Amino acid sequence: MNWHLLGVSFITVFLSELGDKSQLAAIALSGRSPAPRAVFFGTAAALLLTSLLGAIAGSWASGLLPVRLVKAIAAVGFALLAVRLLSPEEQESRGTEEDVID
Amino acid sequence: MQISTPSYLNSLERPQLRLFHQSDLEPKQVNDKSFCTNSGVPVINQPESPQPIKKQQRVVEVFYSTFLTIFLAEFGDKTQLSTLLMSAQSQSPWVVFLGSAAALITTSLLGVLLGQWLATRLSPRTLETAAGASLLLISVMLLWDIAQS
Repeated sequence: MNWHLLGVSFITVFLSELGDKSQLAAIALSGRSPAPRAVFFGTAAALLLTSLLGAIAGSWASGLLPVRLVKAIAAVGFALLAVRLLSPEEQESRGTEEDVID
Repeated sequence: MQISTPSYLNSLERPQLRLFHQSDLEPKQVNDKSFCTNSGVPVINQPESPQPIKKQQRVVEVFYSTFLTIFLAEFGDKTQLSTLLMSAQSQSPWVVFLGSAAALITTSLLGVLLGQWLATRLSPRTLETAAGASLLLISVMLLWDIAQS
């Protein structure tokens, strides 16, 4: 059991999920629901399923592609996620300029 | 002659899973119109008996609707992408899944507890408005994500 990896994945997912829209939905739905435990189980089940799909897709990709390529893609992917997370104000202002769909 | 369970048995607490607040379990069935037969067994009004079944249906509906909402909101979300990337580049994807699952259960528990706490502090009207506004905000954010990708 790779405890380091376990800890890293726990913290990463915990921080990315805190204040995420799915948690917001859980707060909103449980506040006005007559069955909060059903909301909890529904939320947890949905999140576990998406996480499972992600883990399966990731392990499939790592089996299919060479290790170095996968690590490179993962590094780039994380960098992109970090950039998106770290510059929300720039993104919003850029978004209003870019957001000319017509 | 139709054989059916006596109506008074419907009001007794059956060992079924009830996923709602403790206050809902307080005996509403026993009201002023209840009376005792000659044997001393209380006969409860018939209209009360469909309520446990309806409440259970509602609980299942809440489960499925929550499941669908969160699943759709989370698919392609940064959390799922992080899980995917981490499990791809680590040699043990199931350890990643385990850590991710623990974090997700914790955050959803926190979310539900926070929602329940807010329900005790705010009026139902405010809560409904806030919940509706939050869900609308989430749908806008999802559309925004789609427009940007």
